[in-house]
Order: sequence, then C-alpha cells, then structure tokens
Amino acid sequence: MDQNFVTVLYNSPHQIPLGKLLAQYFYLTGLSAGSFVVSVIAILGGKSEYKALGKIGAVVAPLCLVLAPMNLLTEMAQPLRSWHLMTYLPGYINLKSPITYGVALLTSYPISAIIYAFFVYTGNMKMSKIFAIIGIPLAISVHGYTGFILALGKGRALWNTALMPTLFIVSAMVSGIALMMLIAIILNVFFSKDKSQEAIAADRELIYGLGKFLGGVIIFDVFLIFNAVLVLLTSSKEAWHVAELLLWGRFAVDFVGIELILGSLIPLFIVFYPKTARNLKALSFASILVMVGIYAMRYTVVIGGQSVPLH
Amino acid sequence: MSKTQSLHDSTPDKAPVVRFAMVLDLRRCVGCHSCSVACKSENEVPLGKFRSWVKVIEKGRYPDVSRQFLPALCNNCDNPICNRNCPVRATYRRPDGIVQVNQHRCIGCMYCMASCPYDVRYINPLRKIIQKCFFCDHRVDKGVEPACVETCLGRARIFGDINNPNSEIAQTLATNPVTTLKPDLGTEPHVFYIAADYDAMDPTSGVDINHIHFEHPF
Repeated sequence: MDQNFVTVLYNSPHQIPLGKLLAQYFYLTGLSAGSFVVSVIAILGGKSEYKALGKIGAVVAPLCLVLAPMNLLTEMAQPLRSWHLMTYLPGYINLKSPITYGVALLTSYPISAIIYAFFVYTGNMKMSKIFAIIGIPLAISVHGYTGFILALGKGRALWNTALMPTLFIVSAMVSGIALMMLIAIILNVFFSKDKSQEAIAADRELIYGLGKFLGGVIIFDVFLIFNAVLVLLTSSKEAWHVAELLLWGRFAVDFVGIELILGSLIPLFIVFYPKTARNLKALSFASILVMVGIYAMRYTVVIGGQSVPLH
Repeated sequence: MSKTQSLHDSTPDKAPVVRFAMVLDLRRCVGCHSCSVACKSENEVPLGKFRSWVKVIEKGRYPDVSRQFLPALCNNCDNPICNRNCPVRATYRRPDGIVQVNQHRCIGCMYCMASCPYDVRYINPLRKIIQKCFFCDHRVDKGVEPACVETCLGRARIFGDINNPNSEIAQTLATNPVTTLKPDLGTEPHVFYIAADYDAMDPTSGVDINHIHFEHPF
C-alpha cells in the first residue's frame, strides 16, 4: 500500500549496536593493512630507493594496529570478559564467527609486523623478506575479516553483500597509501636537511610515483562503490531504502559529499592533473582528503547500514 | 506443520522430541499490550526495553480505515544467525528450539544485535549483557506457559510443541494459513502469524527513514 496511507502509531526499535568506535577500528586496521602492503611491495621490489618507503610502512603498520583494538574494547559492554575470546577451547569458542578468526589475526599480525619492522630497520634484508611474505596474507586477512563481520550481518541490506570484504581491502589500500604519502612528504620537506640534493629529488620522484599508484587504487575503489550502489538500487526494498539514505537522504553529505567528491574525485584530479601531480602541497592536500574520505566511508557503512528499521 | 529441517543440513537431523513454537492469531488480538506488560514484570526487563511488544499501525483514508497490530518477540529461529555469529558461544540453541543466551559468557560485543534481522535483542543497561525473549524458558521448564501467553485476554497467543500432533499449536498450524516474518532470509522463524497485515510486517512502511533517530548504547 502507498506509504502515505500508513501511520505507525507505536513501535519499539532497539538501539543501534555498533557505533562510531567500530568505524574508527575499521579505519585504523585499514590504515595498518594498507601501509603494510605498500611497505612490503617496496621492500620486495628490491630497488634501494624504495627502501625509505618500506621503512615508513614498517613503523606505521604496527602502530595503527596497536591503537585499533582499544576501540573494540571500549565498544564492548563487558571489556573485562574479553578473555573469553581467547580460550580456544572446543565448545567455548565458535569457529563459524568472523570475530573468532579476527581475534587470532589481531594477535598474530602485530607480532609479525613488529618482527618485520625490526629486521627492516636493522637492515637484515633476507629476514625482512621472509617476514614480509608471512605478513602479507595476515595483513590482507586482518582487514578482510572486518569486511566479513559486516557481510555476515544478515539482517542489514547494506552489509550483506559478497562485495564487502573486497571493498574493505581496497579502501584499506587507499587509506594506507594516502597515509604513507603524507608521511613521506613530511619527512621529505622537514626532516631531510642532512641528505644530498640528489637523494631528496629521488625521494620526491618516489612520492610522485606513489601518487599515481594512489590514483589507480582510488579508481578501483570508486568502481566497487559504484557496483555496490547499483545493486542496492535494484535489489530488495530494504536495500533501496539504504541507497536512498546514502544517495539523497541523511547520509548524503557523508557519502556523496565527503566520501565520493572530497575523498575520491578531487584527489583523483590532483594526482592525475599534470600541474598538481608534481606539487608536494597539492599531493599532501590530496592525501588528507583521501584519509578523511575513507573515514567517512567507514562511518556511512557502519552507521548508515544500521539506520534502516528492521521491525 | 511437520518437523522443520535446517537449511544447511542435507541430512535430516535427529528428530527432536520437542520443538517449542508460538502462533499469534491476530484475528483475536485487540492490541491491549498486556503481553508487553506481563513480559516486563516476569523477566525484569529494564525501563525503555522490550522483549515482547506490539507494533500498532493505522492504514487507509477515512472512512475506509483500520488499525493493525503486530506483536513482536524473538522468533527463536531454527537457523539463528545470532547463534552462528556469536564468537564465544554465549548464544546457543536448546534441543527444544529455544535460542538462549548464557549471561555469564556474553562479552557484550553486540554482534548478535547487529546481525539479527528482526531487531529483537537489546543490551541490558544495568547488567551490560545481551537479552531477548527466551519463550520464558524458566516457566516452560516447569510446565507452565510463557507469561505473555497466559496473560493474553483474547487468547491470541498459542504456545506449545509443534511436534506433538495432539497439541493445540500443531492443530492450529495444520488448519490455518500462517506466515512468518522475513521468511526469505532462511532463518526459519518459529513464531507464526495468522492474519498478519502486510504493512505492519513491512519495517519501512509508513516510516520516514530520514527522520528516525537511532540511539547508540554508549
């Protein structure tokens, strides 16, 4: 029946369970996984000029991942019972739940990332390559599992898609590259007084290359978002309402304004337009925009996904 | 209705002796909300939370109007997604079909709340754990009907074992057209509705989703 003919007199919707802290947790694991992957690409790439990049990522990755689970603990209603997750006793732990494998990943990934960082900084290339190869699947799955957390949330139309883990991994790459680019620019401008002019110029070439890489991953990310929204618009009634919320409803400013226009299209223009692609100020502006845009993406997915009534 | 079978099990599971379920006959419901009150007093449900409540809608244009009710409670699904997603097995399904929460194991991660398609779980603001309707299992274990069933003045609620062909619920299910909420999700809900209204069952009908305000617990 037409919407205008129905009035809800009484209903009792419950609170939304997952809040901004969970979005922040997703954001921080994304930063960590993305910067780790870039660092490993730089180290395995073999060329000595890439090494600077590898060192930045090796520090950023464990740092973000130490901060991330703090958000989870404060989000939980019973933080002191969090040891229930780590008993690993049959009958006490549910191996079907994505949170269970998330706990195993959240403990093993930072350890391997810290060992990797140790070998990168002590210059032991052989061992750092070994731990890079160990760390890559861990880094991808530590962020991929957060996508599964949402994808297996059956009740929510925005989350329950097979695209969600891929979308999360790609957006993690986007934010990780942006953070590394920003740090590389800061190091290049403020902390390279004792370096020779040639070394500084080589570092800048590296930053410009990173900008192009960022642009490529943003294009893939926008393509995935386009797919997700297109399917939402033609899927179930609830999915249509989520698309309505995101495209012209309550979350339009966060999704279309901040995530798509500020966080994707303007940075894309900056990294590919020849005049700004080789300008450090423009590139740092682009990387800040990208990071804000990915935060808006986490926010709209977590909060927006729960903002459609289920009852 | 005979024994229901889990979606993901190709082999028929061992025949459960008892499978509790509820039928809500909305031809008899008068919308008095006494089930909500009985549930709150029986289970000490905190202020502002409901394990069982009645959604009320009005539809149509004068003079062709009606008021429809939809009592809501946990569906105690055969294939509960909350059960699958709980990382510490605090939520489990009893052999008689009641989906229960172990209050000493729950870590309050609220993942079950987020994944439940029926929005029946809430977090207890005093005890900080997840709670929901358990078909009053403490009463059922003693052979008494749940509080909402006993208090329902129109006898709109029928509770019992659907595997027992002589029970009232099995006979009601066998002789009436019934439906469940969101049957397409494959959760196999075990709260059945007779004469439920389409618009009352539709969560987004009559709702301006841009102006709903959802609170966050913390």
